[in-house]
Amino acid sequence: MLAIARRIGLYVLTAWVAITVNFVLPHLMPGNPIDQLVGKLTGRVTPQIVHAIELQFGVGLHQGLVAQYVRYWEQLFHGNLGTSITLSAPVSTVLGQTVPWTIGLIGISTIVSFVLGTIVGTLLGWRRGTVLDAVLPISTFFQAVPYFFFGTVLLLVFGSHLGWFPILGAYSPNVTVGWHWAFVASVLRYGQLPALTVVLSSIAGWIMGMRNMMVTTVGEDFVLMAVAKGLPKRKVIAYAARNAVLPSIANISLALGLLVSGALLVELVFNYPGVGDLLLQAVENEDYPLLQGIFLVITFTVLAANLIADVIYLALDPRIRGEA
Amino acid sequence: MTGVWDDDVVEAADVRASSAPAGITETQDGPGMPAALETVPETAPETALETVPEPVPGGPALAVSSRGRDKGAVVTPSERPGEALLPAPSEDDAVFEICDLSIDYGLGPGALHAVRHADLMLRRGRVLGLAGESGSGKSTLVYGATRLLRQPGVVSGGSVRLYSRRRGEEGRVVDLLAASERELRRIRWSEISVVLQSALNALNPVSTIESEFDDVLKAHRREMSRKTRRERAAELLTMVGINADRLRDHPHELSGGQRQRVMIALALALEPQVVIMDEPTTALDVVTQREIIEELIGLRDRLGFAMLFITHDLSLLIELADEIAVMYAGRIVERAGASTLYRSPRHPYTHGLLNSFPPMHGETRRMTGIPGSPPDLAAVPAGCAFRPRCLYAMERCGTEAPALVPLDGEEHEAACFLHSGDVAVPGELAR
Amino acid sequence: MSAITETTARQEGPLPETPETPALAREDTARRHRALVLPRSPKVILGVVIVGIFVILMVVGPWVAPYSPSSTQFAASLHPSAAHWLGTTVLGQDIFSQLLVGARATLIVGFVAGLIATVLSTVIGVTAGYIGGPTDDGLSLVSNVFLAIPGLPLLIVVESYLPAHDQSNSFIIGAVIALTGWAWGARVLRALTMSLRNRDFVEAARIIGERRARIIFSEVVPNLLAVLASSFLFTMLYCIGAYVALAYIGVTSTAVWNWGTMLYWAQANNAALANQWWWFVPPGICIALVGMGLALLNFGIDEFINPRLRAAGLTRKVVRRSRLSNRPRLGLTPVLGRPA
Repeated sequence: MLAIARRIGLYVLTAWVAITVNFVLPHLMPGNPIDQLVGKLTGRVTPQIVHAIELQFGVGLHQGLVAQYVRYWEQLFHGNLGTSITLSAPVSTVLGQTVPWTIGLIGISTIVSFVLGTIVGTLLGWRRGTVLDAVLPISTFFQAVPYFFFGTVLLLVFGSHLGWFPILGAYSPNVTVGWHWAFVASVLRYGQLPALTVVLSSIAGWIMGMRNMMVTTVGEDFVLMAVAKGLPKRKVIAYAARNAVLPSIANISLALGLLVSGALLVELVFNYPGVGDLLLQAVENEDYPLLQGIFLVITFTVLAANLIADVIYLALDPRIRGEA
Repeated sequence: MTGVWDDDVVEAADVRASSAPAGITETQDGPGMPAALETVPETAPETALETVPEPVPGGPALAVSSRGRDKGAVVTPSERPGEALLPAPSEDDAVFEICDLSIDYGLGPGALHAVRHADLMLRRGRVLGLAGESGSGKSTLVYGATRLLRQPGVVSGGSVRLYSRRRGEEGRVVDLLAASERELRRIRWSEISVVLQSALNALNPVSTIESEFDDVLKAHRREMSRKTRRERAAELLTMVGINADRLRDHPHELSGGQRQRVMIALALALEPQVVIMDEPTTALDVVTQREIIEELIGLRDRLGFAMLFITHDLSLLIELADEIAVMYAGRIVERAGASTLYRSPRHPYTHGLLNSFPPMHGETRRMTGIPGSPPDLAAVPAGCAFRPRCLYAMERCGTEAPALVPLDGEEHEAACFLHSGDVAVPGELAR
Repeated sequence: MSAITETTARQEGPLPETPETPALAREDTARRHRALVLPRSPKVILGVVIVGIFVILMVVGPWVAPYSPSSTQFAASLHPSAAHWLGTTVLGQDIFSQLLVGARATLIVGFVAGLIATVLSTVIGVTAGYIGGPTDDGLSLVSNVFLAIPGLPLLIVVESYLPAHDQSNSFIIGAVIALTGWAWGARVLRALTMSLRNRDFVEAARIIGERRARIIFSEVVPNLLAVLASSFLFTMLYCIGAYVALAYIGVTSTAVWNWGTMLYWAQANNAALANQWWWFVPPGICIALVGMGLALLNFGIDEFINPRLRAAGLTRKVVRRSRLSNRPRLGLTPVLGRPA
């Protein structure tokens, strides 16, 4: 499994880079943002929090950068991401509550979008030259619509105007939180519109990618051979699609970063209690510890998802498997 | 070709191959009947396809002949004393027939004419070679005839028929140009299979070899169980000299030669009556090429399929084919039995081609090649397309396109005014 | 196939010269033609038109805007009318003016960021692809790391640490966005350079002893131009999206008018829930239109690079006009003049 080992190596390196950037940024940015922050905060929040900030960013410790870096790692290993200024709680606790919502929403809608988009793209690529090709220019429009704008439009039309979907939050304020049907049903209902937004905003990319790969693949000899062999049509399409989907899967790692970025802002539109909503609060309040914690958690999650995509790719492409 | 077939039989068969398609249409289809499918009375003895033919006493019938000849086919009479082994060919001997086929790329006034008025007849159990430079339209011809040609290819005229005759079935004629998609799907691979030039691209890169076989058998042999299919796949693979445990491999794990063997095994999986080979050995090195050709000859001997072999390598065809057609700029310019063509080419182009490749056996010729290059399909010269490269071009060649006409014997045809009787034929074209 | 190549045949010249012979020359002009004439598909023309309109808007937008975008002189939340084509905000600002003024910042940041990112990706991608070896390993690793890190969260962190005066500087913001946007292009260009490196003409230049820089700039890069253009459009699209997102979340200065800040203020004032569609719909549509225009242009380049993507030779119009037995489909070559 050499291929997988290499990918894991890459992701470990990426994680290290992300962590290091996270550490270095506050120290290297012009204008001493941390000093300014401490100055701003003093008197506005409890002294404990100011102290926690000073500790996290090494203010007044008179330590060298290297020593601070080592300490930063120690904190990280203990799961200590610092203390949120606005929420006056450990960042890890805050994220523990919000990340599952985000993973649930974005994860499910990404899978739905990929599967649907791939199927539509397969058919478009196969039936090239039909009316369906007119979909192409339109799809570029949807591809370029910012997720959050699309969410806003859906919110207006289907939420507040037509009233088909509940609009804000992740579940009804009238149900008690817990593992029972009423709550789960409420979550599913509230999740529909945000999920629909993510699916509709991202699906065009999968459709286009798959369609173009299908066009290329259908031009390959082995697809013509499948026809020459007298295989049923769906088998011929399967031959082509099975090969054409590989680049799509390989591209997941690129797309995921964009997709997560976009989807986070959708949460913001719908007041969904996920990381995206938290991100807005962190930005508005210059809550650096929270901001950095969010960055790390998102990066790690995306890396993990990439690894899953890699494993799937490996399972589907015997040529790469052979190299391992 | 004389010497093995009875003259009158040859004549009958050849008339079919070369005469205007209208006559055949009437006898086979009946006037105005575009039906894709109909039965024809069984008149000829059944050709055994499923069984290995009886070894002929005294003849090395099953031995793989390196000369590419075997029982029934013709080369040098001296090599095969007193053999007339195949059942005498009759009028029903054709298994795949292309009449007056024209193929264009594109439609309307801008269309390129890639193939013009081509006639070909493949006889049951025989090897027909189609030779020509790249761009001469030879691949276009067979892909168009089998309806496999991609867009913007369009068949603009002619007819293509498959005379299907299987053991235990009534004989049938399938008009490929009128057949429905469903009908085409049925006859594809079970009656006509195709081997492409590059087996690496022709095999699905993500499928195992086994599933290639499995897909074909599942599509055409519904009654076969999973287990039987696997056994059949193993049997076929062994038949082409590959160990059955390679079934689990993917194409990229096989060498080029092995892949081509797999393709051949695959092509024979349903025991088709016609196998079309489009430059099957071009991508391979000479040694592997040789092995594959011998393998093919052996298999043809055992299974008795008819083979349409396309290549630019005329000397390979001389070894392998019973009959050869030479194409230039979309037209068939010469057709003859393999040895006749080799000994006495009648068209200047054939002559040039023969001198472009070292022969595999026999006397060495001086290699001269043909000056110039084949014409762009968009600008085929008026008159004879070969005229700009022809050393013997006459005034007439610039205005009229010569038709394919019979020469010295019914089974030799060439499209060249040199043989119209008006001028003295140059020595090298009169041998 | 013929033993003699075209060039030698011309030199030998025993052939009678005929007007039809120079197929090669014809082919040459055809190729040159193709290089000059942009694909004339309606998609691409639409793309050119859309992008052209927005470029004009970028230049003249702030001059032709009827009012100051920040002025709160009008009544609040006016519906679109003749006086205010797109209505006003809850603060009484003219939205049409905001849209016109905002075009410049939005597109300039996108353009600057796209340009910087493309230069970065070209330098890194071509170097890695051409030199190979450990250099390639190192540079590829760097691009892969940058590809794996989700861009927007990183951007948010970096931008929020920027001093306030930099948060309104288009060029600095553009440069920061470019830092997260170059990796994809670098990967594409690297792969292409690697394949070019082994082509005959590059090999020949190397054997002649050309300097490496010269080979790269005069042999390799010209062959990358189409892909480079496509990569630029793609990156610009990403950069505009990233900039708008940053502005929308409020990381960049909310005082600089661009389409993202418009959406920020609309969201902050719950325009969607208040049904003030005229506030947030126009900037969103503009963003999508710019994106669409760039993507359609990209189609043209894609079709130029990969002819297989071009609309197939038998267009529906031609097929309908001629008496074909069927619509062209794989494995069902049409036959002229046969009943379907």
